[in-house]
Amino acid sequence: MNAPVSSFTSGALVETSAARISKAPAIGRLSLRARGDLAPFDAALGVGLPLSIGQRASVDGTEILRLGPDEWTLTTPVPRTAQIEAAFAEIYEAHPHSLVDISGREVTFEIEGAQAAELLTLGCPRDIETILPGQGRRTVFDGVTVVLWRDAEDRFRMDVWQSFAPHVLALLDTGCRELAAQSH
Amino acid sequence: MSQYRVSGRGRVDTSRPVTFTFDGKRFTGAQGDTVASALLANGVHLMGRSFKYHRPRGAVAAGSEEPNALIGTRRGPGRFEPNTRATVQEIWNGLETNSQNKYPSLKFDVGAVNDAAYMLFSAGFYYKTFMWPKNFWHKVYEPFIRAAAGLGVSPTEEDPDHYASRYLHCDVLIVGAGPTGIAAARAAAVDGLKVVLVDENAEAGGTLLSEPQAQIDGRPAWDWLAAELEALKAAGVKIMTRTTAIGYYHQNMIGMVEKLTDHLPELPEDTPRERMWRVRAKQVVLAQGALEKPLVFHGNDRPGVMLAGSAQTYLNRYGVLVGKRPVIVTSHDSAWFAAFDLQDAGAQVQAIVDLREGVHEALLSEARARGITVKLSHTATATSGRLRVSSLRVNPVSGGSVGAGEEIRCDAVLMSGGWTPSLHLFSHTKGSLAWDDDRTTFLPKDTPEDCLIAGASRGLWGVEAVLKDGAEKGREVAELLGKTPAQVAYSVAGDRTGTGISMKELPTDRSPGKAKAFVDYQNDVTAKDLRLAVREGMRSIEHVKRYTTNGMATDQGKMSNINGLNIAADALGKKQPQVGLTTFRPPYTPTSFGAFAGYHRGDHFEVTRKTQIDAWAEENGAVFEPVSQWRRAWYFPKAGEDMDAAVARECAATRKSVGIFDASTLGKIEVVGPDAVEFMNRMYTNPWTKLGVGKCRYGLLLGDDGYIRDDGVIGRLGQDKFHVTTTTGGAARVMNMMEDYLQTEWPDLNVWLTSTTEQWSTVALNGPNAAKLLAPLVEGVELTEETFPHMSCVECTVAGMPARLFRVSFTGEIGFEVNVPAPMGRQLWETLWEAGQQYGITAYGTETMHVLRAEKGYIIVGQDTDGTVTPYDAGMGWAVGKKKPDFVGMRGLARPDLRAKNRKQLVGLLTEDQSKLEEGAQIVFDPKQPVPMTMVGHVTSSYDTGTTGRPIALALVEGGHEKLGETVYIPMPDRTIAAKITSTIFVDPENARLKI
Repeated sequence: MNAPVSSFTSGALVETSAARISKAPAIGRLSLRARGDLAPFDAALGVGLPLSIGQRASVDGTEILRLGPDEWTLTTPVPRTAQIEAAFAEIYEAHPHSLVDISGREVTFEIEGAQAAELLTLGCPRDIETILPGQGRRTVFDGVTVVLWRDAEDRFRMDVWQSFAPHVLALLDTGCRELAAQSH
Repeated sequence: MSQYRVSGRGRVDTSRPVTFTFDGKRFTGAQGDTVASALLANGVHLMGRSFKYHRPRGAVAAGSEEPNALIGTRRGPGRFEPNTRATVQEIWNGLETNSQNKYPSLKFDVGAVNDAAYMLFSAGFYYKTFMWPKNFWHKVYEPFIRAAAGLGVSPTEEDPDHYASRYLHCDVLIVGAGPTGIAAARAAAVDGLKVVLVDENAEAGGTLLSEPQAQIDGRPAWDWLAAELEALKAAGVKIMTRTTAIGYYHQNMIGMVEKLTDHLPELPEDTPRERMWRVRAKQVVLAQGALEKPLVFHGNDRPGVMLAGSAQTYLNRYGVLVGKRPVIVTSHDSAWFAAFDLQDAGAQVQAIVDLREGVHEALLSEARARGITVKLSHTATATSGRLRVSSLRVNPVSGGSVGAGEEIRCDAVLMSGGWTPSLHLFSHTKGSLAWDDDRTTFLPKDTPEDCLIAGASRGLWGVEAVLKDGAEKGREVAELLGKTPAQVAYSVAGDRTGTGISMKELPTDRSPGKAKAFVDYQNDVTAKDLRLAVREGMRSIEHVKRYTTNGMATDQGKMSNINGLNIAADALGKKQPQVGLTTFRPPYTPTSFGAFAGYHRGDHFEVTRKTQIDAWAEENGAVFEPVSQWRRAWYFPKAGEDMDAAVARECAATRKSVGIFDASTLGKIEVVGPDAVEFMNRMYTNPWTKLGVGKCRYGLLLGDDGYIRDDGVIGRLGQDKFHVTTTTGGAARVMNMMEDYLQTEWPDLNVWLTSTTEQWSTVALNGPNAAKLLAPLVEGVELTEETFPHMSCVECTVAGMPARLFRVSFTGEIGFEVNVPAPMGRQLWETLWEAGQQYGITAYGTETMHVLRAEKGYIIVGQDTDGTVTPYDAGMGWAVGKKKPDFVGMRGLARPDLRAKNRKQLVGLLTEDQSKLEEGAQIVFDPKQPVPMTMVGHVTSSYDTGTTGRPIALALVEGGHEKLGETVYIPMPDRTIAAKITSTIFVDPENARLKI
């Protein structure tokens, strides 16, 4: 299984008793890089940027995850992207930063089910249990850089660059079947 | 019931018979048997032939340390595995097994002539025997060694099984589920600690499975075991059986292989055969136990000669008597208990022969009570029997002299040379060992890892002692993890404690030089070989090991290392620690390639990155080539076309009208921030300050050594914003290099990098009609020479899509690169394809791209450069900013070597006979010079189709820039080709074709 990424459609891609993998609908994504006084950015967003790596914040359908010391990823409904870009452009002169639209760069897989966390142990060297519900991390899955969002004990989202997505999905698919067979 | 099965003994289920074949013959065993225990139950000891001498061999052990009983197993097509240990492989209905290393049959093997010629095959025989005559090497010696080397036969069919892998994080990992490990798990499983208990055997219990007589806390050992395992599960301990910890790596990373299906008659769907676990444990307790040592005497390898402890295991765990008239020969108390167990199960023990002068009175009285003959101060000097031992020759030893021999008739010889603590994983941690003179063995000392070692693997003996030690170590790790575990006490009745002495080869009244007294069964190394190695000058055990191959077989010297060391130390007249111990290396037991490969096979072998336009290319018949992790359309053949014809057509169509090319794989980096331009000035050789917004420039990136690393066109989209492109293969490397400089050298710069390679799908249009095709689709800019000249860029709309439009050319034609958000790539491509039909638009692949760029002398980094080419060598000095204060590689470029006149420089080559050169071919100035000739360069790029009407090539040639017009020579196997040095530009040197 190594389907072209363009063949993915929203909805369930794999489903077994262990977990269900689906492709999330298209969404706006922005990469924010900034340092120093973050208050102006908080004001532009209408919510405080999360302060420790892995923490999340959200406002009006926009979710923010801190990935690194000066790096956040923002997801937002597509129409909101331009508004956020405009609000940040306003403060650029006084508070230089980088805000880059990466909406087209990635796809998101939704991974849910009783064994969703176990499924991730097939490819993720990080201890999944250290990512608490409501947090997220940039990590690797089967050697591919991904961003994991843990939305609940048994529900995750995984952001993957487009061209790596088929490879990642193939292992998720294998894993869903392997775990289902194991629990019989 | 089979002949040797003992009713009421063992843990196998004789009410569930299992039928399998060995060498085509059907055998019946019981559910729970291994191949070895089932064959022994049928009275079969002969299971294989040895590696070097093809001597008949039987199982000598009962576990994973088995060196002899290696078999091939088969489960239908593709599912064949050589060198499986019969002592580990569980039987199931229909299992096919075969002996190895025999021809024509196991019972009659012609290779056994090696045994008669054993004097030839002494230590170091490879180095001696095959030295002369020299011309024998290729025809005789090497084929012989190759035929003889290795055991078993490699599988020839593709393996249809799946292999898996997982990561596992835990607080405590305990290796070995014997009494030590169980007690450790019990103590550590407190207060929510995540404890994993792992064992290579099919069931947990370790030595308790072989010692049912013990009473733990008033309960029979097996009842206690069952209850304790239940209690552990209830406490949340994860118990993993058939799982071998194969290696201990840095920072408490332990590799484990779980065998999931080898014991099953039916293969369940979607279940892998094996799974590699990568475990990261906060604390590790090693409880691997101890392995019994053989005694070294003439004929100690005959089928029927086995370890006493293993005989005890076959009886108590599998309900099998390995012989009805066994004789025991030992230097350790433990074998006495094996004798008692066998006698009690109906065997007639012929004698207990002990090397020691005295043993504990309790043992003597137990032997007396059973009527067993005891021979103290006796040695074993020979065995007889052809395919099975039939007698043991024993002699009294008194004051160092060996008396007259006496034959004892028997059908099995059960030996024990004492026990070696299993230090394999401990040694993987770089743990240090200390020699224990009393026990004549190495014991564990310090380890840099968060690791404790417990029980028999640190030299303790007896169930009560190891339970106590396991519990202590379990408590200790729990305390290290901040918990307060409870004290647990164990009392054991019927415990078999004991001691012993360690021997070198046993004393004999015969010539030791002729004794076949085996130390390493699997590699056929004898005591004589080890002594010979010392006589021939080997001083370190590492040299002795390599010279004799002692301990180098797949069993990794589990049985042979200490015996080998004792003998080598004796021969050297030194203490064992001065001679040293060979290094233990992972894996602990042989591990399949499948387990290491895991999921990475077939389609999933490696990431194959595809662009959004890849599917279109596939639908339109593209042939693909891999470019780093990407697969790219190579060329688009039409019916009947080969590659040359397709590429010639694609080249011509692009130069004549318009070609379309998927350039999405180009690396892209968004550089944003007030210091963006300063950053670009420092990274690239070119000056960027004066580049206007909306303009592009070709950028050259060097390493700090001054050599070309990458290149690409870079557009300035805003005062503080650059759109950098890199080569396809260099994208990640360049990004990392930039981040590295930014974070370590220039943290003061206010600039950030974002990879946008996959944000954009990039479609390149090239050709005289490119602008005409594109113009009607573009909003926001007019595509004329004045408004949007060559090397311009703009954010605009193309076919209704938000786009970044670049006017650049990698072909020498009018060229555009249209970037749209990645998911829109295919839509853009199809729109341009439709609109281009009126111009006869032609899709081209990477090969045509290569040809067209070569005709213009545009380099490809990594093809025309090889990491030793400077911008000046490549004829690109124009790209180096002369007035810049600094850039990466500036200092390197100033080195005298890099400014030398006669460096290899990039030039064009045109062959005199119009033939195509071979890429990589070496170049000489004088073809008549004597061999070896002085090579002065090589061909880097060469094409024979294209638009110039003749083959062209690029090459690196010494001092080439000064040699335009001169002739060089390319010697090939069949002829020498003459070629003229030219400029690298073969088409349109005036760049007239770039103009709209």
